[in-house]
Amino acid sequence: MGPSMLPTIDLNGNVIIVERASVWLQKVSRGDMVVLTSPEDPNKQVIKRIVGMEGESVTYLIKPGESDECQTIVVPKGRVWVQGDNIHDSRDSRVFGAIPYGLVHGKLFWRVWPASRFGSMCNV
Amino acid sequence: MALRNIGLWAVEGFELAFSLAKFCCCIHVTGSYAMGPSMLPTIDLNGNVIIVERASVWLQKVSRGDMVVLTSPEDPNKQVIKRIVGMEGESVTYLIKPGESDECQTIVVPKGRVWVQGDNIHDSRDSRVFGAIPYGLVHGKLFWRVWPASRFGSMCNV
Repeated sequence: MGPSMLPTIDLNGNVIIVERASVWLQKVSRGDMVVLTSPEDPNKQVIKRIVGMEGESVTYLIKPGESDECQTIVVPKGRVWVQGDNIHDSRDSRVFGAIPYGLVHGKLFWRVWPASRFGSMCNV
Repeated sequence: MALRNIGLWAVEGFELAFSLAKFCCCIHVTGSYAMGPSMLPTIDLNGNVIIVERASVWLQKVSRGDMVVLTSPEDPNKQVIKRIVGMEGESVTYLIKPGESDECQTIVVPKGRVWVQGDNIHDSRDSRVFGAIPYGLVHGKLFWRVWPASRFGSMCNV
């Protein structure tokens, strides 16, 4: 894990259960955290949050922290727009574009460790 | 004595089943993919049966010229067959409007991606339309054609 999903997933070794049924049944939606194969490096599995499904509009800051300039795109068919929660340190769709849904492999379901943050990964 | 024979047959049967299971784990038959005209004349429209193997993809031993099965970046429910025309870092030159004009475009395939095209460039939705695809979408490499018998043989250099 890198810092791209702070503070939701910190750097101290979380154990989170990932389920594949939702991906296979295409029941993932905006707001879900998913595991996907990186479009830049096929050996890397990364965790990001789905911010836009196909057909939806996504608006994002081009240079967060430096400028208020935004860009709006429409997610093409068959693709999803993913971003890390830590927009200041995350390589995501703002860099490599909307990814084909075929690269999404699992949905984060339940955090088992640390015990202080035990619980569902929905609405987190 | 009869019990011993049964035991031997059981062991032999088990070994055979195990070998078959191992074989099937590495390779599976792709009679079930719906084929369009994009790979003519290499793969015609009359129901070919071609064995696809996944080991090459997992070991990243696919290269330019291989025919592969991939999940379409436009429709995640569709598995399509295309040929790899460019690996990451390679230059690909293609006709923008084949048949109508001689104008070409050259692109460099970005890191982690491959450029795929159908053999039938006049009727194929491929990287010329949707760009170089992430290698993670490639799932298998076409290995051996089993049917029709007249075209039985390896899918390398075809």
